[in-house]
Parts: sequence; C-alpha cells; structure tokens
Amino acid sequence: MSSKEVYLDSCKTSRLAPEVLDAMMPYLTDKYWYPGSFTSIGTEIAEVIENAQEIVAKSLNAKPEEITFTSGGTDANNIAIQGILQANKEKGRHFICSTISHPSVLAVFQGLEKQGFEGTYISANRDGYLNLEELKAAIRPDTILAAFTHINHILGTIQDSNAIRDILDQADHKIYLFMDSCESYTKIPINVEESGIDSLSISVHKFNGPKGMGILYVKNGTKIAPTQFGIVRLYKLKPGAINVPGIVGTAKAVEMAFSDFDKQIERYRDLQTLLYDEIIKRIPDTILNGPPIGERSPAHLNVTFRFIEGEAIMMMLDFDNIHVETGSACSSQNLQPNYILMNTGRTHEESHGSVRFTLDRFVTTEDILKTVDALEKTAKELRRRSPLGKKEQ
Amino acid sequence: MAIKYSELVIEHFKNPHNVGTIDKADASATEGSPACGDQLTVYLKVNPETQVIEDIKFQSYGCASNIATASIITDLALGKTLEKAKAISWKQAADELGGLPPVKMHCSVLAVDALRSAIKDWEHKHLGTQIEQNITKKNLVKELQKVIYGKVGVDIVSLKLLKYIGIDEKKNVLIELAVSKDDPFIEDLKNEINERMEKFPDVASVKISLV
Repeated sequence: MSSKEVYLDSCKTSRLAPEVLDAMMPYLTDKYWYPGSFTSIGTEIAEVIENAQEIVAKSLNAKPEEITFTSGGTDANNIAIQGILQANKEKGRHFICSTISHPSVLAVFQGLEKQGFEGTYISANRDGYLNLEELKAAIRPDTILAAFTHINHILGTIQDSNAIRDILDQADHKIYLFMDSCESYTKIPINVEESGIDSLSISVHKFNGPKGMGILYVKNGTKIAPTQFGIVRLYKLKPGAINVPGIVGTAKAVEMAFSDFDKQIERYRDLQTLLYDEIIKRIPDTILNGPPIGERSPAHLNVTFRFIEGEAIMMMLDFDNIHVETGSACSSQNLQPNYILMNTGRTHEESHGSVRFTLDRFVTTEDILKTVDALEKTAKELRRRSPLGKKEQ
Repeated sequence: MAIKYSELVIEHFKNPHNVGTIDKADASATEGSPACGDQLTVYLKVNPETQVIEDIKFQSYGCASNIATASIITDLALGKTLEKAKAISWKQAADELGGLPPVKMHCSVLAVDALRSAIKDWEHKHLGTQIEQNITKKNLVKELQKVIYGKVGVDIVSLKLLKYIGIDEKKNVLIELAVSKDDPFIEDLKNEINERMEKFPDVASVKISLV
C-alpha cells in the first residue's frame, strides 16, 4: 500500500500523537524512576504524577484525588462496577444496564451474575436512546448501580446523564450512576459536578494517547471496595506497578485534547458533515444509523449501504489504504450481526451493510474526500455484483 | 491468531470472473438469503445435446470469500458436463483458492450449493427430473452436511456434532447437537440448520436441543 493511510476508526484505537510520544520518551529512558518521598528522583516522579492527575481532573471538573490511572477502559470498568456492587452488597445485589451497552461492560455484568448479582437490561429506541420509562420501572429497593454507555460506540448516540440521574433520584435510596465514557471523553464536554455521574471510565488510546492506559473517576464519598490487591503505591483501587510513561502520555493527550477543545469539536462536526453530505449526494440507497448529524457524537458516523455487504466494503477500502469498521456478521468472530444494530430494530441486511467511520485529531478534509471517492467506486462495483436492489436502482 | 485470506481469494475478490446474469438463461438458482447474510444466484446456459455448461454467471450479495468462491466455482464449472460440475465439492473449491479460513468455509458450501441447485433446475426444466423434497432422515442429514461449524470449518455431520435427528408422525424434526450452550457459534449453527430445514416445505417445525 503506497498511498497515505486514511484511518477512520478511532473508536477502535488511534495513532499516538508525536507530542505525546515526545512527552513520554524521557520516562521510558533516563527518567525511569518511581515516585517516592524525600529523594530528588522520587519526588520528581511523584510531582509528575500529581500534575498528570490535576490535568485529567481539570478536564472533568473533578478533584485530583477522584482520578485513578488504570491499564485501560476495561480495567476501569471492572474496578468501578465490581467495586461498587461488592461494597454495597448488604444493601442489595441488583444493577441496571442496557441491551446496547459496550461488550466490555456487558462482560463484567455477566461475570457478576454468576456471583449472585442480578441485572435488568433496559432497551433503546431505533436511534439508540435509552428507554427511560423502562429505567423507571426497573428500579427496585435493592438496586445499587445503574451503568450505561455515555456515547454508544456503534450508533454515536449521546445519552443524557442528567435525565438518567433525575430518574435514579426518584428512588428512596442512593443509586450510583456509572458511565462508560470511553467514546464520549474528548468528544463532548463532561462536567462530573453537573452531570449526575458517580463514576466513569475512559480509554486513552482512543484519543491519540498511549495504549494500555485508562482513567477511572470515582466521586468522593462513593462506597467502593477494592477488587485488586497488592502493594498500594498510589491508588487503593489500582495497586501494583506504576506506568509512569503511560501516565505522562495520558496527561499530554488530555492536555492536547482540551487546550483547543471547542475548535476540535467544530472540526469534527465539519468533517462529519462533509462525510455524510458527500455520501448521500453521491451514493444512492443509504441509511443513517443512529441520531441525525448535529444530535449525535461529532466524531462518529454509521451508514448502511443497501444491497451490499460490509466486510466486502471494508476490504475494498483497505485496498486503498482506508480503514473503517463494519457491523456485518461476515466480519464478526461468530458470524453474528452486530447486536446493537439488531437490538435497535434493524434487519440483518441493514446491519450487514453498515460501515462505521470515527474521527480523531489526525483526520483531514482530504482524508474524507478520498474516502468518499473510494466508497462511491466500491458501492458501484459491489452493487454491480449483487443480485439485490436491481429493480429499485 | 491472524485470520487472513489467501492471495488467490484476494485476487478473485478484486477481479471476480463470470459476474453478471445470462440473458434467457436455461436455468438458475438462488441460495442463501439477505436475512442470513449471504445470497448467491447462479445462471446457466447448457448445451442440451452434450449437457456441457457453455456459459455460467453469478451475482453475489456477500463478503470477499463469498464473491471469491462464486468466482472460482463458476470457473471450475464452465465447459464441464453437468455430471462433472455436480461433482465439484466445496472442499475442492476452497483448495483451488489456496484454502479458506475455517470461519469462511460456509461460503464455499453456499457456492457449491448454488451451482448444484442451478443444475437441478436445468434437469427439472429439460429432463423433467423431480426435485426431491421428501422428508427422510437421509435427505435431512444430506442438508445438514452443509452446516459448517465456523470454529474449525468442517460440517456438523463429519464432526459428529449432530448426535440425533428424528422426525415424528406430524413431521416435526428434532435435532440434537453436541455443542455447549456457551459456544460462540451456537446462534450461527441454529440459523444455518433452520435455513437448511426450510428447504423441506413439509417440515412442520424444527427443534434443536443441545446435549
């Protein structure tokens, strides 16, 4: 592949920003030390970590002590969900989740169900908005935790955490609200003081930071038990070795995302609008999956190309060094169509032809135009081969 | 482990042979459905004297391996007598492509199935051969031999995952599979089995139990 790579899959992972690598490099080489007291090298690292924690806390309007660095989004999800449920199990063993949650969150709950916890999974409408009437009905006297995905990774739907909080507050006891914010952080503003969220998880490699890094926010006063045990150097919830270069890289990626946050969001919106407008202008028979542009995540688009299959589209684009994701059963490990598309009322065929495009700071206008050119060519060629839709075209 | 396509699959996907339809085709057949993922239609032109396939075309709604297997199967059948074309196996088609990942083996089955069905259609139209749809255990098992377990890319009959098949007097079919309920391919297997059983219009219901 000779042409410049176009990568439209930040929901999966993203390129490490060179500035982030530069920031990390000293801590991978000369400054390999651990935090400590009194010594010059120990205190230097301790201050670096404190600074990183402050940078992240500020981006969420949280307090530095409410931030824990983890080894990824899944790690943060596990620590928060298991920790809150385990710490409160005398009060109850019931949680509320949704049928369109991220698989990494669903997996935690499936594990907990085997340990005697009980869940209610509320549904979502065609655009991916949670059915709040179902949420209301799901609350029980023994409900401890509600956990939802802040921005759905397949549909780009933004859930209103305040509306969820209002419903949870109608219960006569405290129900914690956990948000998987892996897709929302750096894409929409999050203010933990005003959002009604008690705990959230963040994945750093989705916004041009290092892989293997996550951020866990736990509001002060939340009753949470540790789920991992070892030497507590920094955080009681995350004992063990400290990934100093990862923490430094995380802070740099956060700093970059928030130093020009509004400008970045506007840029995402422009690129997303351009991508969608060009697709519908140039390619017939498409379906937008998820809420309309302007209402959905600014860095996310999901379109079904009717009469053709997503893995074939994805591979054709791959030949042109353009990288996207599909909800097609053909490209899944167990040959099943994407459960989120199916759980929001789509047909197999609609899921089959779906292609997801997600943005990060490196995506350019040129990338978008190149992608639409390739999509137009691909759709035409695959539709020539397809037995479907001939009468309608 | 990296699951990837062979160079030949990629080549046939990029530049498939025999794509399209045949004007006034002598026979055709469609296998699969958009609801199950893949759909393939094969069109034939057959010399009635020699029974040689003189032209063959396909249309595919499917993934790269679906298109590539349709391309290779039509290449293999072109110029062959119907008898020889019928003998092309899905394993042979996969081998001709330099192999297929296990999870994609079902594409080869679909391609062979569509070719054989198109040949049956020709035989039905031109020789008056009846298309057999009798519900016998033998016929049902023959269809179930086309259900591929995606983990290893082999059919459920050869793998002995099909433990029992029974037909009661009301034509309800009971199938027992030796597959764990946590198996990631369970939904795929159920869909495939149900799809296969739909070929027998007289089957009243299909019940699949895991043993």
